[in-house]
Amino acid sequence: MSDALREEVENWLQRHWDSDNLRAVDTEIYDEKRWLSEVVDAGYATPTWSKAWFGRELSQREARVIEKTFQKHRAPGWGKDRFSLGAITLYKMGSEALKAELLRELLIGPICCLLYSEPGAGSDLAGIRTRAVKDGDEFIINGQKVWTSNAQEAEYGMLLTRTDFDVPKHQGITFFIFPMKQEGVEVRPINQITRESEFNEVFISNARVSERYIIGDYNKGWKSFQAAIASERLIMGMGVTARSGMSSHSKAPALLRLAHKYDRLKEPALRQEIAQALAYRQLNSLTMQRAVEEIKTNGMSSLMSLGKLSMSRIQHGEARLSGTILGPRVLVNDTEDARHANFDAAKAYMNSIGGGTDQIQRNIIAERILGLPRSNDVDREIPFKEIKTGG
Amino acid sequence: MEAFSVEDRQAMCDTFSRLLQDMADEPKLRQLLITESGFDQSVWGKMSQLGLMGILIGPEHGGVGGSLVEVEALMEHAGAYLYGGPFISTCVIAPTILSACSDESLAEECLRAITEGSAIFSVAGCGSSGAWDLPPEVQAVFVDQSWLLTGTADFVSYAAVANQCLVYANVDGGKGVFLVDMNENGIALTPHNTDDATIRLSSMSLDAVVARQVAGVGEEVMEEALQVALVALAGEQVGAARRIFEITIEYLKTRHQFGQPIGSFQALKHIAADLLIELESASSAAQHAARAIAAGSDDRKLMSCLAGFTCADNYRKITADAIQLHGGIAYTMEHPAHLFWRRAQTGQWLYCSSDTLRDNYLAEMEKML
Repeated sequence: MSDALREEVENWLQRHWDSDNLRAVDTEIYDEKRWLSEVVDAGYATPTWSKAWFGRELSQREARVIEKTFQKHRAPGWGKDRFSLGAITLYKMGSEALKAELLRELLIGPICCLLYSEPGAGSDLAGIRTRAVKDGDEFIINGQKVWTSNAQEAEYGMLLTRTDFDVPKHQGITFFIFPMKQEGVEVRPINQITRESEFNEVFISNARVSERYIIGDYNKGWKSFQAAIASERLIMGMGVTARSGMSSHSKAPALLRLAHKYDRLKEPALRQEIAQALAYRQLNSLTMQRAVEEIKTNGMSSLMSLGKLSMSRIQHGEARLSGTILGPRVLVNDTEDARHANFDAAKAYMNSIGGGTDQIQRNIIAERILGLPRSNDVDREIPFKEIKTGG
Repeated sequence: MEAFSVEDRQAMCDTFSRLLQDMADEPKLRQLLITESGFDQSVWGKMSQLGLMGILIGPEHGGVGGSLVEVEALMEHAGAYLYGGPFISTCVIAPTILSACSDESLAEECLRAITEGSAIFSVAGCGSSGAWDLPPEVQAVFVDQSWLLTGTADFVSYAAVANQCLVYANVDGGKGVFLVDMNENGIALTPHNTDDATIRLSSMSLDAVVARQVAGVGEEVMEEALQVALVALAGEQVGAARRIFEITIEYLKTRHQFGQPIGSFQALKHIAADLLIELESASSAAQHAARAIAAGSDDRKLMSCLAGFTCADNYRKITADAIQLHGGIAYTMEHPAHLFWRRAQTGQWLYCSSDTLRDNYLAEMEKML
């Protein structure tokens, strides 16, 4: 089966993709929209999806055959059923009419950003207060979102809003696909602790979105959102795997090279700390390898969800040790080593806070993997408008 | 070509696990703890009937020709029951040393005796330092056509029940390994009053004890044997850590305070989540090291060091936190947590200290520079 599939994809790519010039056959420059249209219509972008929606109804394993063949020819467009968050959410949770209107468009082009977190709703995401008020067949949106990447380029945003303040917090939420390019949407970059600006604040005042663009059902957005975030967590888990990839055959790890460069490998106490830091990284990489093997055999692995939390200890630990190795040199950003150490120390919080803090992650691991009981949320059953706020 | 399929390995482990369940569960273990030898001959006999004695020994000597992957898997089950006995010395370390012996008749004699269940081996690999990677404190001399051993070995496990012992000794400015019949004259065993009653350790003094040389075996083979021993021990530690972790999680779900299961409190569930990472890290390390050694990979020393200190330290950490998470109930001799916790401390020093292994791991890493 997989051999026949591989051959089919090989043949298709031979006819359509010029892998020497990295563009479609018979074109002069790479035209992303045009190429993605071809891939989507051939069913190679989302092979696991239904035939009604650009898919081939193939298994994950068969989908990997397609992805690998595309990668071999350096052809883009594969894996949209794994990585294209907006499209995945729409496919899973959207109405047939909405899919007909937007799904193809989302697959072939516009970046879709995530309008989830708010200044008052981080770890407690169901506490969002961005308001959507019905006005004819549209909704009027007012509120503020934060930690949104790609907000400047995005044409759509996956928007979580509150549509009912009189019911408990999980029950009054509606999930929209929201057009970003309109009056009343203002994007401001955030100056991050690392001096980078990957994320933005998005201010929404009296912007509009059609009723047709609700994902799932009115006031039942929390459920649709859970489906969306599951895809995101899976992608972050894979990202972790990729970043931590250090086989014992690769060249020496950066921390070891730094310690060698500053002649700190003769100190027994420091050796213990460096060895442990390297071990943490290697152990996580071995566990993620196990996760990949388990997924191949069983289709799933709970080990994957340990990766992100493990990575926090690794990144904070390595950054701290880099500082220790440099000594007072770390105070002065004149050398590349000092700049890296200081940058990495700040950047480590991206992993331990972003996408769910380590503390939230521990709750998830304890509750969903170990099966420990949920903590009591005092606000779970009371009307949203009665929930205490502060800070 | 692997001798065991995944299914075969699983079937063997299941059988071993049932045997331990029937004959070596906690009540039986507690009876064993107050015996002098700490060794259950009937369990050993059953293990022998299952063919476990020859797990690492080739069919030409009557064994089943398994690899360290099978050993690691078996040891996880042994660990879950806190099994104590001369299994690692007899069935893991001794075959590794004897298989490297250039005297084929001696190798055949000993390996055959192991697979037949008639030989129980101790291995005297260290002196008072407890470290197998340091020079031994026994001297071998060749006098009147025979080898004589004199000196002290320490932390020798199950020496009192063994009928054979492999002794690591200094010889002619180098190192060698010698086979000693435990009935020879000149051997004096002093059993240690170990804090962990699930393992028996003795000091062994030798006064001109007649021995046979395990020809062709020196420092290098001993280093390989140490790696193999560490990975077997690592497997045991993973199995034991998983068992006490499961007991603890179950308790967090059932014990109620303030009208709710204590496992709903974040102060406890966060510790549990962190311990799961330590447990799975240990499991990854042990399994990977076993595969590296079975495949003869270049990084097998690196991986066995990593498995050695990770599994030892994480086992100790998991058992220590298990007591704390239980609270008062585990501050008793009746509760099993302390048995695991004490056994975990043994593991941090048996063969080699965790700190030494961590340093050796870094030294292996430095070769990449």
